[in-house]
Amino acid sequence: MRYDDPELRELLAAEYVLGTMPSRSRRRFERLIAGDPAHARVVGAWADRLVPLDTATPAEEPPARVWRMVEARIDRAAAPPAPAHGWFGSLEFWRGLAVAAGAAAAALIIYVAAFPGRTVLPVPTVVAVLADQSGDPSWIAVAGPQRGEVSVSAVRAQAEDTRHSFELWGITGGAPRPLGLLRPQSGSVAIIPAAQLPPPGDLLAVSLEPPEGSSTGLPTGPVLSRGKVLLTPP
Amino acid sequence: MLYTQTAARLFGVAVRIVGQREEAEEVLQESFVAVWQRAGDYDAARGSATGWLTTIVRHCAIDHVRRRAGRPESRSAPEDLLLKFAAGERTDRGAELSVLQRCLGELDEQPRRAVLLAYVYGFTREEIATGCAVPVGTIKSWIRRSIERLKRCLDG
Repeated sequence: MRYDDPELRELLAAEYVLGTMPSRSRRRFERLIAGDPAHARVVGAWADRLVPLDTATPAEEPPARVWRMVEARIDRAAAPPAPAHGWFGSLEFWRGLAVAAGAAAAALIIYVAAFPGRTVLPVPTVVAVLADQSGDPSWIAVAGPQRGEVSVSAVRAQAEDTRHSFELWGITGGAPRPLGLLRPQSGSVAIIPAAQLPPPGDLLAVSLEPPEGSSTGLPTGPVLSRGKVLLTPP
Repeated sequence: MLYTQTAARLFGVAVRIVGQREEAEEVLQESFVAVWQRAGDYDAARGSATGWLTTIVRHCAIDHVRRRAGRPESRSAPEDLLLKFAAGERTDRGAELSVLQRCLGELDEQPRRAVLLAYVYGFTREEIATGCAVPVGTIKSWIRRSIERLKRCLDG
């Protein structure tokens, strides 16, 4: 089939949203649009054209057990058997979050907040996830603890090394600016003023530097991890 | 509270398609696990979060009904829903809904019914064909034509 025919693309997108595709074709189509953002936008446009029909459907409160079941299934799927520091310190959790980062945060917030009357653990506002060259998250920046502050911590303990330090950089338009030294121990946090962060879309990076940090105002050692700033922290 | 409404509305959609609450609970559960797994696919540039979430729930519900033999008999026709909208039910997408209703109203009666049975209740082409006593090929061309006309009307 020729998938580049605009009319066919439109028709497939609409049939996908309408739900008239056989289940197997639908899954094939999902794989197709996963690598075709332009086509995914056509699909999104159809979902938005037809979703007003759903807003007129009577809303019904789902029972709380639905949430508990979801939680149990997600825990089984995402969490290692006994994370050292609960879910917050779990590498698998952050790895999952790095995959889900970006605009997807919006969907997760809806997902978490969708069940009222339930006490949830405070969900950190993730400002950036910094991944190493193999794509594994190594540092995470979250909003807080105070307004206007951002906490940066190691997702997993980095190798202790007294001859080097880890320095954080904000990179706006390709120009690095030093933001301070990080503490590599698991559980240690470096707090920086949110105002010093580059705007969303620009980069945070961590480089390996002498113990007292770079003396030139520019990274001198290798850049170990980097990640986009996802949002402006509150 | 927007989020509270979101969960309740999505559950309403699941109940509408599968026809009963217990099975709709399973569908909602599957849907939220799918949301969790596929959150990385969501991109605000590709459409609203409501549209994305609703599509996931509708597809889970449709798969659920397809796996099960048969569907519950008692359900109101989709036209009833439309009448209810026409009676002035207020929703936060009221303006968009009335445009959509007008455009659906411009379709011929049988193709409109086919589109609504598919979207509102998740009927397959085959089920619609049986209900309308026409070949499946006819349903395919009704839907195809309706899609083209709806797009022209909604975007125009």
